[in-house]
Amino acid sequence: MEQIVFGIGITALTGALATVAGAAEDTESNIGSQGDPNSQVQLAPQMGFLHRIFNKAVAGEPPAYGLWCCLGAGLAWAFMAMQLNAVLAIVLGSVLAVFVQGVYATTAYVGRTASLSKFGQPVYVDILKSMTTVTMAHAFIAIFATVALCQLINGALGHPFPLPLLALVWGIALGAAGSATGNPYYGKERQYQNQKFGAGVPISASGNIVRYAEAGERNSIDNGWFTAKIGGSASGICFGLIVFLELWRTILFDKIGAGWGSIAIGVLMILIFTVVDRYIEVWARKNYGPYSEIKEASS
Amino acid sequence: MSVKVEVIEGGIPHNKIMIAGVVSTLVCLYLTYLNVLTGTEMFSFFGGLAVVSALIWGSHTIKVLCSYGIGTGVPSAGMIAFGSGVIAMLLATRFNILAPIVALVLAAIIGFILGYVANNILNMKIPAMVQALTEMAVVGALSLMGFAALMTGGFTFAGLTTGTVTVLGQTLLTQQHSFMGGCLIAVAFLLGAIAIQHPFNACLGPGWKQDRMLMLTAECGFLSMLVAAVMSFALITSGSAIISLIIAIIGWVYTYYQYMVLSKRDAAAWLDAKPIPEVEAH
Amino acid sequence: MSAVAAKPAAGGAINPTAMGVGVVLLLILLGICWFVSPTVGLMALIGIIIGGVLIGFGVHFVPVGGAPAAMGQAPGIATGVAMLAAGGGLAGLFGGAWAAAAGQTPIVVIITGGVGGGLMMAITCMMVNFVYVFGMGIPAASGKVAKDPITGDTQAEYKSQGTEGHGLPFVSFVGCVTGGIFAGAGGTLIYLELLNLYKGALPTLMQLKPEQVLPIAISMAGIFAVGMFLVNAVLTAYNITGTIEGPHDPKFKRWPRAIVASAVASALCGLAAVLIVLPLPFT
Repeated sequence: MEQIVFGIGITALTGALATVAGAAEDTESNIGSQGDPNSQVQLAPQMGFLHRIFNKAVAGEPPAYGLWCCLGAGLAWAFMAMQLNAVLAIVLGSVLAVFVQGVYATTAYVGRTASLSKFGQPVYVDILKSMTTVTMAHAFIAIFATVALCQLINGALGHPFPLPLLALVWGIALGAAGSATGNPYYGKERQYQNQKFGAGVPISASGNIVRYAEAGERNSIDNGWFTAKIGGSASGICFGLIVFLELWRTILFDKIGAGWGSIAIGVLMILIFTVVDRYIEVWARKNYGPYSEIKEASS
Repeated sequence: MSVKVEVIEGGIPHNKIMIAGVVSTLVCLYLTYLNVLTGTEMFSFFGGLAVVSALIWGSHTIKVLCSYGIGTGVPSAGMIAFGSGVIAMLLATRFNILAPIVALVLAAIIGFILGYVANNILNMKIPAMVQALTEMAVVGALSLMGFAALMTGGFTFAGLTTGTVTVLGQTLLTQQHSFMGGCLIAVAFLLGAIAIQHPFNACLGPGWKQDRMLMLTAECGFLSMLVAAVMSFALITSGSAIISLIIAIIGWVYTYYQYMVLSKRDAAAWLDAKPIPEVEAH
Repeated sequence: MSAVAAKPAAGGAINPTAMGVGVVLLLILLGICWFVSPTVGLMALIGIIIGGVLIGFGVHFVPVGGAPAAMGQAPGIATGVAMLAAGGGLAGLFGGAWAAAAGQTPIVVIITGGVGGGLMMAITCMMVNFVYVFGMGIPAASGKVAKDPITGDTQAEYKSQGTEGHGLPFVSFVGCVTGGIFAGAGGTLIYLELLNLYKGALPTLMQLKPEQVLPIAISMAGIFAVGMFLVNAVLTAYNITGTIEGPHDPKFKRWPRAIVASAVASALCGLAAVLIVLPLPFT
């Protein structure tokens, strides 16, 4: 019984860490403009729309976060093997991983913008100076939280994978969850703020991103505030639910039915989420209504 | 990806880079064998230099492949390179001193078959696909071997799976506290996979220049060597690790500075706190 | 010089000669394995091939929209297909590895891995629709079919003007969960086969006790599972050329090619993984 209570406590803590990590990850990737929405930032100069947005073309979020978290965990593992205190090891590992992330971000921005010189897009050194540290700060939170939760899973809950491998798994999952949830919000609502709300961006408007804002030209730091409105929290809840429910169903129900208990609970959870998703979809169709009259025409 | 990709001529031809890459990587890997001959771990830094040369070669291969518009992004090419390379590399470590050559041959076979599968069974029909995937698997395997040599001082299976731990003043052999036991190969995997695709991904565009991309690859390689050297403190003697770390820091600072100089040369303008220039939209 | 136009438009066709060569290759690789290790190695290799095929097939179900999806121009998730599938499958592998360490039966371990992957995809897809509906005010609509095959909802009038659709219609959601289940189960199967093989063979190879080699066995099986996962997922990404709406998308019909491709790739990598622990010449 004590074992289960301890396990639930750790699970709750990892769920909280995962929520923070998810929110910080989405905020960081929007401030740096990483992943699929970044294609618009790269397309805009080619269509004649020069801008002052940070263009962080470092792979997509899943492999990038897989690397930062795995690197932080590998460094933490090495420090712990040198008999450093666990918390200090994780902090130092995350600091070094964030240093690598910052360097990659700067080289990506400079490289992509220099290759767009044909269209007259300048490299703004002040963007480099102001944006890089902000993305690094948010990334540090995400990396630290992820490595810490992996250390808890390995050390306190007894998962067989060593720390770097766990961080690879959860880093890629973090990037996938945060990217899936946060990318459309940033891409459609922030970059194409001028387009009509409540509809997708028409293909004819590609590249015409918003470049002027309240006090001069739009810059990426404000994307942090914007992400916090819903995208960051949604990503945080997404990743937090993933980690928490995965651990919770295993800790509580693994002993029941020699493993079949946690499988049954897992299937039940999938069904619950399917019902919730269907409810959201139907609610949207009923409340928002169609864009045009119901036609017999095909796609 | 919406950025137009074009095959750009000029610069050093790919085959020259490939031959230089193969030769220098193998030479650097075998130079780490000096560790065994001299009984120290001082020459581990050659593993890091092997990684840098393999990555320079590999990033140019990715440039050749992705210029044809493969339909997916650039990062997936790095993933398939290292995914196939890691298996070849570990199998090769069983062959002791022949390990680098065996890794090259095995990875080439795996990459060739994967290239055939992708080009013909999946009908991608890209002219450079088979050669590119073959080269990338080799680059993946050799870079991982370089990381292993940097972090542990050698590239044999026994060396990668055994470490030492000091208990009550006595040094004992242990599996847990080793390169494989701690799964540091996962870190090397991702370090290499991101580092191989980043230079082409980051320099993508009509203004692509070969020297700038290759300088960025060297910078990514030295950066990876830097963090790997920090991790090696846990597995090899501090003195050897410090040598690797210092060489990595010097290499990284130099290549980063040179990359910024080259980017300044290529950029349309290098502005500080200026507004968006007025340009007519086309 | 633009090379993008150099590729002939043979996107969805099946090449029978190449498929035949693929099957022959598969048999050759199985034969080599039978030759060097008829019982243990061959069983492991067959398990690895099945796992790889499950991954390759499962990734076809995952709806990925790519860059247009990030602007609400195309349905699907706005991430790369290989890495999204990797995220789901690895979350499943995490659960499966835990079950394996707890000593449960193989079938339970594999299904646990599948359920883990499916759960991750279910939560992600639900949150994607959540953000689309409540954050952006956009209902889900498919661009490839007139009616959702599962629910019968009409799609055309819910598609905003100038786009190919957006969000995750219910069939895409179900496809995503199915894909997660297959991918998680496949990855866990590969891991389990390799783990059992290494736990059995490494003590003899390294002259150590079983509990001493356990960390090595777990790490090796784990990193090979990740590597083979990525290879299979990227091959599938090449097969669907980057984006797919789900099982209702016409591109889904390309799956036979991916089965053969994944089988050959998994057999090749699996054979190398099996050979590591066998006695070899020159070692």
